[in-house]
Amino acid sequence: MSTRRIQEMITHNAIYIVLVVLIIGIAIYDPSFIGINALRDVLNQSATRTIIALGVAFILITGGTDLSAGRMVGLTAVISASMLQIQDYPRRFFPGLADLPVIVPVLLAIAVGFLFGMINGLIVAKLRVPPFIATLGTMVIIYGVNSLYFDMDPNHSQPIGGLRPDFTKWWGSGSIGSGQYSIPYIVIIAIIVAIIVWVIFNKTRLGKNMYAIGGNEQAAKVSGINVSRNLIWIYSIAGALYGLAGVMEAARTGGATNNYGNMYELDAIAACVVGGVSTTGGIGTVPGVLTGVLIFTVINYGLTFIGVSPNWQLIIKGMIIIAAVAFDMRKYANKK
Amino acid sequence: MKKLSMVVLATSVLGAALAGCSSSGSGGSSTEPSVGVAIYKFDDTFMTGVRNSIEKNGKGIAKVEIVDSQNSQPTQNDKVDLFLTKNTKALVINPVDRTAAGVIIDKAKAKDTPVVFLNREPLPEDMKKWDKVYYVGAKAEESGTLEGGLVVDYWKAHPEADKNKDGVLQYVMLKGEQGHQDAELRTKYSIQAVEEAGIKVEKLAEDNANWDRVKGQEKMAAFLASHGDKIEAVFANNDDMALGAIEALKAGGYFTGGKYIPVVGVDATAPALQALSDGTMLGTVLNDANNQGKAAVTLASLLGQGKEITKESVGFDVTDKQYVWIPYKKITKDNMKDAQ
Repeated sequence: MSTRRIQEMITHNAIYIVLVVLIIGIAIYDPSFIGINALRDVLNQSATRTIIALGVAFILITGGTDLSAGRMVGLTAVISASMLQIQDYPRRFFPGLADLPVIVPVLLAIAVGFLFGMINGLIVAKLRVPPFIATLGTMVIIYGVNSLYFDMDPNHSQPIGGLRPDFTKWWGSGSIGSGQYSIPYIVIIAIIVAIIVWVIFNKTRLGKNMYAIGGNEQAAKVSGINVSRNLIWIYSIAGALYGLAGVMEAARTGGATNNYGNMYELDAIAACVVGGVSTTGGIGTVPGVLTGVLIFTVINYGLTFIGVSPNWQLIIKGMIIIAAVAFDMRKYANKK
Repeated sequence: MKKLSMVVLATSVLGAALAGCSSSGSGGSSTEPSVGVAIYKFDDTFMTGVRNSIEKNGKGIAKVEIVDSQNSQPTQNDKVDLFLTKNTKALVINPVDRTAAGVIIDKAKAKDTPVVFLNREPLPEDMKKWDKVYYVGAKAEESGTLEGGLVVDYWKAHPEADKNKDGVLQYVMLKGEQGHQDAELRTKYSIQAVEEAGIKVEKLAEDNANWDRVKGQEKMAAFLASHGDKIEAVFANNDDMALGAIEALKAGGYFTGGKYIPVVGVDATAPALQALSDGTMLGTVLNDANNQGKAAVTLASLLGQGKEITKESVGFDVTDKQYVWIPYKKITKDNMKDAQ
């Protein structure tokens, strides 16, 4: 192989190299990091982040951005939790509510995410408000809606707890198998979602349109793509994914407050750009996003594991985000 | 080559950061149990006091590792998983959200790792899940009662405090985070203490300022704009908000030329003590960070070694076999030294 090809290989696989280097670095520092338990923790902690990041990826690829993702996670966490409390819990959100099949509140939360995503899409596509501003607005609105719901009588902004075990198990803390060799259900959910999103990105007209719109919206329009309809669909799907993530956050922690999901969108955007999704649109892959999420989880988990001060972790995270995008810019600048 | 050098640069910066900044553990003898501590968020003044106390009092009795939950319950659960994977001998958890304690207890029980909850009390039914679960904290209602007492003392000693001479105490309330147990209890019990002392009260305004100094200032400025000199006392659920209120009052011409209004808070933080000595703040209630941290880390150390928990071994009273209550204390300019 020529040096040029080696260079190219490194350029195209830089994020995977960073991930491997990170893991090796942490493992050299503390070899006990390499183990089934730590691996399961990392995957477990990546699950909801992956789903949110995939939602954000849809929007970033169209050339947009979504600041409302985190608050949607919070809203849907509260909605699902409020309807899935055990009967003898002393402070129930809906005191008289019978036990619903778990899937009903779960689907309702996803539908609420879909609806608010659709509102984002309508504002961007029909009112022509730039996505940054549109979702900044809905971010604040959704938090307000959530806080109103959360403050309803008789709950009055008390954290919602006492969630049903059949909910927390299947959508949160349970796993297939037992002990060392178990796979958390939420990891399986995340994998299924990643596969579905991969199919949408690569095998459907919506996916092709998404890349076309992000690459050059004018050209997409001229070539007969109904840009607004596609955008509305894309924002709605992203919203549904945040809804699912909110359900999983509630189940995983066994509770919810209106503060859940705060600033998750920034983590998700960071994971996407580190994973090679272009902030200017048109570029991004599912494996890239997954790697981006894993890099941040490995940083969060691994650096805490070896006792790096949380303040240094923030500095390292920030440097990685900037380095990734700087690197990306060079990659595409060189192509042009 | 440039690209290659960038990758090398990026990875070496990372490597250097990894190697250079890992905080060395306390490095004590191997008999000290490892104790994982998760604080709800690092940029909280009071919890920083508790955190410092845990570090200080943990020396020699435990290998303490403290992490930041960034005010996010999912993040805290992640940290708990990490501690359990590392086979930490005991946990000290300052929950972000008290209802989430149940899940944390389940996780810890599965790995037989005792848990000491700190400062935010889990629900009683969660505490009953396992006998190796403890709670260290203060009774929030007591802080409210004492805070109300500060205003009662002032009102009775200073007849001029009743500015409009109607015999009713007109007050405004700055509340902590909506739904926070301490916020609700301090609000309720501070006013109840005033009423129980035989003073009629009238609430002019009440708003959430999220424990935050800046928000406290903003809300107080708004209260002043709408109620002005009708306000006869300012209650804040904590010192940060009280200090914010004092800034707004200063901007409104108070604390100079005899224009005064009693402002009370809770926590007795260093900036609050400064305000006491300046004469801008009437009083505060000491939430004893030092003893909370000391009790929590002592308990965790004993539990991590499998030792018995008694009043003698912990150095604090243990109520109902699971609770260590750290009392509050009224602090004014006269007894400031007690809080330093």
